[in-house]
Amino acid sequence: MLSFVQVLTSGIAIGCVYGLVALSFVLIYKATAAVSFMQGEVLMVGGFTVLALNVGLGLPLLPAILCGVVLVATLGAGLERSVLRRALGQPHLTAVLLTFGLGLIMRGAVTTVPAASHGMHRLALPFGDEPLRLGALAIAPQHLLVIVATVAVAGALSLFFRHTRAGLALRACSENPQGAALVGIPVAAMHTLAWGLGAALAAIAGVLLAPITFVHLGMGLIALKAFPAAVLGGMTSLPGALLAGIFIGVAEALAGLLLPEGGKDVVPYALLMAALLLFPGGLGTALRQLRR
Amino acid sequence: MKAVHAVLALPAALRNSAAAVLGIATVLAALGVDYALAQLAMIATFAIAGLGVVIIVGQAGQISLGQGALLALGAYVQALLVRHGVPALLALPLAVLAGMAGGWLASLPAQRLGGLYFAMSTLAFALIVEEVLVRWSTLTGGAAGLLVPPPSLFGWSVESAAAQAVFSLACLALAWLACHRLLDASLGRAWRAVREDEGAAAASAIDPLRAKRSAFLCGGALSGLAGALYAHWIGFLSPEQFGLLLSFELLMLAFIGGVRTLAGAWWGALVIVAIPQAIAVLRDLLPAAVAHTAGLEAMLFGVVLVAMILLRPQGLCGPSPGR
Repeated sequence: MLSFVQVLTSGIAIGCVYGLVALSFVLIYKATAAVSFMQGEVLMVGGFTVLALNVGLGLPLLPAILCGVVLVATLGAGLERSVLRRALGQPHLTAVLLTFGLGLIMRGAVTTVPAASHGMHRLALPFGDEPLRLGALAIAPQHLLVIVATVAVAGALSLFFRHTRAGLALRACSENPQGAALVGIPVAAMHTLAWGLGAALAAIAGVLLAPITFVHLGMGLIALKAFPAAVLGGMTSLPGALLAGIFIGVAEALAGLLLPEGGKDVVPYALLMAALLLFPGGLGTALRQLRR
Repeated sequence: MKAVHAVLALPAALRNSAAAVLGIATVLAALGVDYALAQLAMIATFAIAGLGVVIIVGQAGQISLGQGALLALGAYVQALLVRHGVPALLALPLAVLAGMAGGWLASLPAQRLGGLYFAMSTLAFALIVEEVLVRWSTLTGGAAGLLVPPPSLFGWSVESAAAQAVFSLACLALAWLACHRLLDASLGRAWRAVREDEGAAAASAIDPLRAKRSAFLCGGALSGLAGALYAHWIGFLSPEQFGLLLSFELLMLAFIGGVRTLAGAWWGALVIVAIPQAIAVLRDLLPAAVAHTAGLEAMLFGVVLVAMILLRPQGLCGPSPGR
């Protein structure tokens, strides 16, 4: 029972990271109708940027994280201004290939830095990694940190989308770009904002992932598991994406407990296939239909 | 000076072929004949896989993010059969069949899904295939890999670079002819109709589902063939060769060459195989600190892909948009 709870918390924690990356996919997809295949690479760049600021420049952890996330958000916004804007109105494959190409460039650029490409790096937590003991239950602090930070980010996003002019404008843009333009919302600027926010979310996911899997070149692969989360959440629902991410994280963790070795890695993709075939509108739509 | 004038006075066709011969001679001199021939075999093999992308993506207009898995099926079937003593020429049709079966499987979700969601299902298909190849290690050797002997045709072993090049070029020629005939037939017209407008195609008595499925069957067959050849030329198979990166590399190949034309597959394959060679040449010119990392190749691939999509979206040999 105890090990079950511990597996559950680690599943929820990794699921939060999936959820954050899925959130960035969905945010970009809703606002610009582009599927971004570079979120994993952005996540990796985010991890390395914070690492470089923290270890390389000697900034304390919190300012390093803030600066890193802002830098990566600027990178995302800059890429939208220069390159990704050209994919607007084109077939889906154009955006897919463009973002994949940009991802390759980012990955290549990080690989050429010798210090980055050799081995794994640690981002030290301020409170160490002594497990938290609640009776006989031991919970890793990095898992708790991920969960708390995800809740905070989700809360901040929800406030942003409900109570700020920019957030409301972005939502209007996602609902109906023509209508938004007619009432005076600068649609092009909103697209830049969406890509910037998407990059920032991926970078935050990268920072949160750093204490769990370390910072290394392959950490972007986690984005492949965020895809199923985005689809399971319905591709257009932000809370859906986050919840589906946690669902996949937990399902994966439980599969690791119950299924033979290797079953764990197939679970997200099998879930993706099942979700596509059974509820292409996402789990939320499926539940709503059931209730009716 | 006189010689320059003499060259300029030649008719354009002659001048172009002279330039081509000169170019080929330079490549041969720079790389060595055997090496260049081995690269030619690789180009032909990638071009066959590229033809599959041209049919699925360029002609039928479906996004396939799982081409690598189709190649993997062909490669593993060929490798396992040849290792168990089946003659290569007999194994080859079976590898093609395996690719076709994979294409059929990958096209099944098209019954319920369209557009982007269908593309996601091909991605899931490819990731599941890769995982199965890793885990079914009693058959595939798992992540440790599998050695593949060179093919033998009627007792003659295809081992030298020249034989490899001739064999792959022959396969490419056959595949090309088949594709050429298909594109002119009613099947090809059905693909293009579905690409332009599924509703209109259905209204003209074309079953979009059948058209998509046949495109995946043909694309799968070509990928199976390419995979089988690839298995022999590389001589070693492991699942990670056929991951998402290969799927995207093939998409890139088709888009660089021109995704709507058969010739695009050839030119794209040429570029894809040439980029690592260009890196090898550049490496001597660059400062040592930058030159010794693998990152350059990924960066150059990315730059070429982004530049092509932005500047020449129809590909190297696609028609200009004005026409």
